[in-house]
Amino acid sequence: MSSSFPSKSGAIVLLIASLTGLAIALYAYFTPLTGVTGTLGALVAILACLALAILALLLASTQGPGTAIFLRILILLGLGGTGFAAVLLHQWWIGVAMVVGLIGLILDLMRPARLVHS
Amino acid sequence: MTTRLSLSSAPLMSFKPGLSAMTALTLGLTPLPLMAQEVSVENEPSTAQDNASLETASSAAPIPLVPGEPIWDSFHGQLNAQKYSPLDQITADNVADLEKVWELHTGDVADGSGDLPATVWSATPVFANDTLYIGTPFYRILALDPASGEEKWSFDTQSSLEALTQPALKNRGVAYWEATDSEAGEPCQKIIYMGTMDAQLFAVDADTGEQCADFAENGVLDVNQWNDTHDKWPLSLLQPPTVVGDHLILGWAGNDWAYEQAPPGTVFSINARTGEREWTFQALSDEVREQSGTANVWTHMSADEELGLVYLPVSSPSPNYWGGNRTEEVPLGTSTTAVDIETGEVVWSRQWVHHDIWDYDTVAAPTLMDITVDGEEIPALLQATKMGFLFVVNRETGEDVWPIEERPVPSGDGSVEGEVYAPTQPFPTKPVPLLDQSEKPNVWALADAVSFGECSALWDELRYEGMYTPPTTQGEGTLGYPISAGGVQWGGVAFEPDSQTAIVNTSHIVQYIKLYEREAYEKADSGSGNESGFAPQEGAPYGMRLEVALNRWGMPCWEPPFGELVAIDMTTGDIKWRRPMGVSQQYGFFMPERWGSPTIGGPAVTAGNVIFIGASMDAKVRAYSLETGEELWSDQTEAPSVSNPAVYEYEGRQYVAFVSGGNTILKNQVGDQIAVYALPE
Repeated sequence: MSSSFPSKSGAIVLLIASLTGLAIALYAYFTPLTGVTGTLGALVAILACLALAILALLLASTQGPGTAIFLRILILLGLGGTGFAAVLLHQWWIGVAMVVGLIGLILDLMRPARLVHS
Repeated sequence: MTTRLSLSSAPLMSFKPGLSAMTALTLGLTPLPLMAQEVSVENEPSTAQDNASLETASSAAPIPLVPGEPIWDSFHGQLNAQKYSPLDQITADNVADLEKVWELHTGDVADGSGDLPATVWSATPVFANDTLYIGTPFYRILALDPASGEEKWSFDTQSSLEALTQPALKNRGVAYWEATDSEAGEPCQKIIYMGTMDAQLFAVDADTGEQCADFAENGVLDVNQWNDTHDKWPLSLLQPPTVVGDHLILGWAGNDWAYEQAPPGTVFSINARTGEREWTFQALSDEVREQSGTANVWTHMSADEELGLVYLPVSSPSPNYWGGNRTEEVPLGTSTTAVDIETGEVVWSRQWVHHDIWDYDTVAAPTLMDITVDGEEIPALLQATKMGFLFVVNRETGEDVWPIEERPVPSGDGSVEGEVYAPTQPFPTKPVPLLDQSEKPNVWALADAVSFGECSALWDELRYEGMYTPPTTQGEGTLGYPISAGGVQWGGVAFEPDSQTAIVNTSHIVQYIKLYEREAYEKADSGSGNESGFAPQEGAPYGMRLEVALNRWGMPCWEPPFGELVAIDMTTGDIKWRRPMGVSQQYGFFMPERWGSPTIGGPAVTAGNVIFIGASMDAKVRAYSLETGEELWSDQTEAPSVSNPAVYEYEGRQYVAFVSGGNTILKNQVGDQIAVYALPE
């Protein structure tokens, strides 16, 4: 199995989850009566989801194992932090998106190491 | 002609009225001797008038304390301040189905970032004349269709939007009056009144919004014309007048903490039709008025029309945190004082804080209630306070229902020149205090840890020997738990008369107060916010600083909960249930529910066994079970609802209206939303 699709599937799930989280965070920040409209917390969630999306893209394109490990650690911290923030913001769907993102990260961890060098 | 009646002076605690207030009134006697105070009567009734009144009184039908019909035509819903509606369409069983049927954004809002000061909107929507009336912090009156929110008319006072006496543009709504002998086709048989920060009281026709030509000067009464002593500021009319019969009972608000000498806290009775001044009430003697000031009534009042009494929640004299200029007794300061509606004469008074040097203004209208204690039916009055005490007395006489004890309190540490200290203060034995002020509150370990010990270091620098620990110049000052922020605020106590349950929301807030000698103050002053920071107490030897005890991240340094909703069985004085109320919020992040939220705004209660309240930081409005305290419903609004809800029925449907205006004391979030809810049709 040398196809690149399975090797990137985890990162793609992560990317979709991050973009979903971003969309929800944007809605929460800009829409009246979400409870967090215009707040610093919602803005942090927007930036965090945006950062996670960028990291997911980088993870999908990275070739070096060291870089991948570094990115995964960053992503794990990002998912945890954003998920915690989502819970405190009562934005439960962002939390769900972060869980999905975590599944994507696990999928990415499970890809064969040799594929990293393919 | 003005007649001054100087009443004799006597210690408050020895006051044991031998006659009931009603008997005294009926016999037309001079009220029982009380503490030094003065009453000016512009229109002293003649003997003939007295006789006529007597005859009228004897033949008139009793006026029930709890109206038979659903009424929500004033700040606390009804004159008894119960905030109780007999409506039962919305019940504890179906309140979860409640939906927003309309909302309105008035546009009268500012966050303080532009040219205008921030707005603080605490108005109760008033339902009367098949219309919902509301005042705004831009001093406009709106008349709205109760079912749709459609505007019927609006009236703009054109008042200057300047924060003349307050750090924000504030408004607590409008008052409604209706003639009992209305003349068909004549204007202003129903009137809406609203005051402004620059002391103008407007009267407009409730049907049309046109100014009432027969009221004062073409519908505008300049209350500042009577501002004749230490007129440092205009007598801001932020609280609507209390309407009792044809009387508008009017207090005012000023600029707290700014001056040693300030306008004395006159209460005015105004003729509702003409704007003519009828009588005035002064809480301070002539001598104290000269050297001090305030002891005003800045919040709403309640009244028992059957007894002919209006109950004044009197605030503390100036300056708020130093009393060296008022070392003699000021017995009507920080009190509940019952006065005759017709004359303003004091019938009884109870002082809740002797020699108040903590700004423990009596902050809400007392709630009037008929309760049964040990088989005896008692016409009672419950006064909630900033201290978290609930004082319960007989509203006819002012006598205790449950014993109120004078207990020794701490004296000063010798650092404050010229100060004197009351050796004792009144403590109610029942109900229990809403918060335990007897011991220094514990430092919250979480807040302390994340701030690397900042909280415990602050605690070490704060003196506290119980709630009445006097202000000091030493260390970081005196810990106040609670102090200016309360306890209970102007929303007051609701009461459900069938189960005889009182409901009150309370805050647990630690602040600290430090006095600075004048030279040190000038060096230290780095500005102030809304109810916090530095304040000069100009003229006094000490300026002051009051801060909330937060760590560097804005977390409270004391343990949660930060606010609660409490139900009290008024037949026993025992707590029925209490629970954290609302959710604290910082930067948008919600804290756990068990921590609760500081609260500003009051509850309403209905015959459907439902409590409605906003009041929390998270800007949600909620419904709770009267029986259990369980949260049954909530909805998000634009800003904290720091007002009292209104409950009304229109065309067979029950509505609940909330104003979401915000208050920078809670957090920096303002709003201009009226949100109205009902069950699906």
